[in-house]
Amino acid sequence: MHLDVYGDTLGAMVSAGALASSGNQVQLHLSDATLVGRLAAGECPYREPGLADLLTEQRGAGRLHLTTTDVAPADESAVIWLALSPDLLDEAHEILRSLPTQPRRDWLVVNQSTFPVGSTEALQTSLEMMDADSATAGAVVSLPDLLTEGAALQGFMRADHWLLGTDVPLAQRLVYELLRPFNRRRDAVMMMTPREAEFTKLAINGMLATRLSYMNDMANLADTLNVDVDRVRQGMGADKRIGEAYLYPGCGFGGLSFSRDVMSLASTLQTSGLQAQLLDEVLHINERQKEALFRKLWQHYGTHLPGRKVAMWGVAFKPESSRIDNAPALRLLEALWAQGVEVHVHDPRALPALAEWAGERDDLILHDDPYAAAREADALMLVTEWKAYWSPDLARLKAVMNEPLLLDGRNIWDPTFMKDNGFTYYGIGRR
Amino acid sequence: MMDTTEVNSPDSPAWQALTEHAQAMRGKHLADLFAVDATRFARMHREAGPLLLDLSKQRIEEQTLQLLLQMARDKGLESWIARLFSGERVNCSEDRAAMHWALRLPADADCTIDGADVTAQVHAELTRMGEIVDKMRDGQWRGATGEVITDVVNIGVGGSDLGPLMMSEALTDSRKRTASPLRVHFASTMDGSQMSQLLGNMSPHSTLFVISSKSFSTIDTLSNAETARHWLERGLGEREGLLDCHFMGVSSAADKMTEWGIAKANQMKLWDWVGGRYSLWSAIGLPVALNIGMQGFHELLAGAYEMDVHFRSAPWEDNLPVLMAMVGVWNTNILGINAHAILPYDGRMKELPNYLEQLEMESNGKSVTRSGEKVKWATCPIVWGNVGPNAQHAFFQLLHQGTEAVTCDFIMPARRYLEKRHNAAATELAAQHELALANCLAQSRLLALGDAALENAESMSADKRYRGNQPSSTLLLDELTPRSMGALIALYEHKVFVQSVIWDINPFDQWGVEMGKKIAVDTLARLRGEACGETDGSTAGLVERILRG
Repeated sequence: MHLDVYGDTLGAMVSAGALASSGNQVQLHLSDATLVGRLAAGECPYREPGLADLLTEQRGAGRLHLTTTDVAPADESAVIWLALSPDLLDEAHEILRSLPTQPRRDWLVVNQSTFPVGSTEALQTSLEMMDADSATAGAVVSLPDLLTEGAALQGFMRADHWLLGTDVPLAQRLVYELLRPFNRRRDAVMMMTPREAEFTKLAINGMLATRLSYMNDMANLADTLNVDVDRVRQGMGADKRIGEAYLYPGCGFGGLSFSRDVMSLASTLQTSGLQAQLLDEVLHINERQKEALFRKLWQHYGTHLPGRKVAMWGVAFKPESSRIDNAPALRLLEALWAQGVEVHVHDPRALPALAEWAGERDDLILHDDPYAAAREADALMLVTEWKAYWSPDLARLKAVMNEPLLLDGRNIWDPTFMKDNGFTYYGIGRR
Repeated sequence: MMDTTEVNSPDSPAWQALTEHAQAMRGKHLADLFAVDATRFARMHREAGPLLLDLSKQRIEEQTLQLLLQMARDKGLESWIARLFSGERVNCSEDRAAMHWALRLPADADCTIDGADVTAQVHAELTRMGEIVDKMRDGQWRGATGEVITDVVNIGVGGSDLGPLMMSEALTDSRKRTASPLRVHFASTMDGSQMSQLLGNMSPHSTLFVISSKSFSTIDTLSNAETARHWLERGLGEREGLLDCHFMGVSSAADKMTEWGIAKANQMKLWDWVGGRYSLWSAIGLPVALNIGMQGFHELLAGAYEMDVHFRSAPWEDNLPVLMAMVGVWNTNILGINAHAILPYDGRMKELPNYLEQLEMESNGKSVTRSGEKVKWATCPIVWGNVGPNAQHAFFQLLHQGTEAVTCDFIMPARRYLEKRHNAAATELAAQHELALANCLAQSRLLALGDAALENAESMSADKRYRGNQPSSTLLLDELTPRSMGALIALYEHKVFVQSVIWDINPFDQWGVEMGKKIAVDTLARLRGEACGETDGSTAGLVERILRG
């Protein structure tokens, strides 16, 4: 089949690569020409095992073509695969509204993006409005992105399950046909309505967020009870009913998938006015948790912070990302600035995004070198657990810092080892 | 009670003329005045900025107003206004100026008093207040453990409570959303009633107390503040920054704030030349600014400033505060009406009657002239009130059919529910507003006209009839906004001042509230079983019963 994939997300790249590899003609539409250039040069924005090679291979085989969002699908294409970032719902509508009306065809739109519940139905309306005069039989289906980072390709090509949300038989058959090469061992496609599929994705994200907020709550209690939460975490994870995933306490989670806009049911529940109570509280705890390192610093220095210098390692909302959407670092920066603290930041990839968000200001200094950021600092906050931060040169770090104070927001360092090396160490629930 | 000859004591030709005029007016019912003149409203209402004052339902004629203004001239009102606005020490018993008007001067106004640049002082303090307000509204004011402050409790009483409380309630639709929740509470009563309720529902980690007291020696406020301090110490332990992070002070006594433990950076200044009940415009208004933001607070000040300019410059024939005051004098001193009801037809103004009770009665509830003589005329009437529609179910029976003559101020906004936040229910709410407006107009009409407002009144039994002729003023606000509320409150302030000039009393002191506090100190000793002097039989008997438990 000929299909057009839209988006810069990991899901977009994995889907495009995998679908091309099974013989489809895929056109991948990226948000800007620079990204097209970088990808064409073999540079993949995600360090996902096997992904860069797969994309290069498929381009070489002539089945994967890179282009930008504003380029229209080819005449042969009748499948639109939307794997956009959660904040681009408007753009999704725009893509559908500007689809070519000639030659006539029945579009299949697969929505893999994490949008609020009800969006797939709204996209269906946009598709129908696109060609108002002639009643097209086009359909929008929901196929939520269930990829796990680090095993994303495997997750697509040998998926444990898919959630397919549609009530149009023809659309169902087409999606089955697209997934057939990846759906051989057994039928892993679970059928539901579009709304149910979207809601399931929301419920999964909500459960993951709940586990994290729960652990953060436990970590804060551990702090006051003089208990090491890491041992508690391992003990909990050993219980098969609970499992080990998503039990790591930290200084809050970010990213657009966990944003209030996406998690909110407001768009679909306007009439009944109900809100998800637990989810609301989970997100609230998370916002508070983002300031955990600030509170430790505030108490360490007896509430007197004006004139201090703080180094921050990592501002991306997660490692390997250049994005800062809802990142804990942003709330920390605002809290520090409000108290008259000068912040020196290092991040391997997210500095451009941070510079754009913050604008020009005297109390923010960006560094390419992590040790330069720590120079003369009264504290070092580790906010994003980039691999390069796991084993720093402690002697050098201690030598350049004004006060050897470490605030570890991801519990990546060993408290005892750090104390033995002359640092004052605060983790999240560590002792 | 004074007898009528004393009330009407003719100490000037103007009083004499008014008394004679009153004789001529005596037989004229308000219904008759309206019946013979279709243009009465047109002639008897005035507008200034966002306010419209309708005096047509007062028992007056144009000649009445002329005579009243003549009296104001005879009493030297013009020079008194000049003295007030020149920063002269018009509060003679305390030897202080009364410059609440200076608190709302625009930044470029020129105001130098005794060599001090008052505008600069006021605006420096407003800037500091703005920084504090912004920090709190941004969710960046931190408690001792680093938590964001989400609850602010204003501890104050009298002017440090009624003004900010009334204005916060009134401007509830002007509240701007904040980054994190920010709730403002008020605790005033010395018995700790509000504190005990509040403390149970708040976290010490995220609560800040604003201790507002001009003198910083008010026992009501200090006892609440002590309770707050102990509550925090119990909740957080005695730790660094406890007082610095959780207490703020607004007072003219900086040394007393410091002695109590308020950090210098958290002290906001009040000047000697602002009376407590006139202090809403200063840092005492902090709770208002926390609710509506600093921009809104500046609009409030601008509205009051507009009224100041109007009061100083508009000819008296069109001058709202002067007209309102002089009609009040007519009602009190010539018609002998000694009760005045404040009736806002808008639930947001439910604290306004309380606020005006203090403003009017604490200012003008005096019986000694500026030269120390006993007054020979009635001064401030009894002022009370409630939200109009609710008062209809309480004391309107007395207004319509009781034996007492009462004057009323009906207050209402013409437009309401235009704010975005009401979108969903706007249609229904707007209908409710119309209903309230209709009731306001109907009640003042019935009070004025009596049976003439009804059909076939003659056929009804006596207990179903309305005598009418109860005078009232109607104040119509364009819309209830910071600007219109600023103008409304400044209007009442100046009205009170004008009346004090006519009555020759000092509206800026309050000696009548001092002695009770002193006696309470002795009585407290008695209640605690300590040795103390003689008391009266009633007190002794009650103390004995209390001590018995």
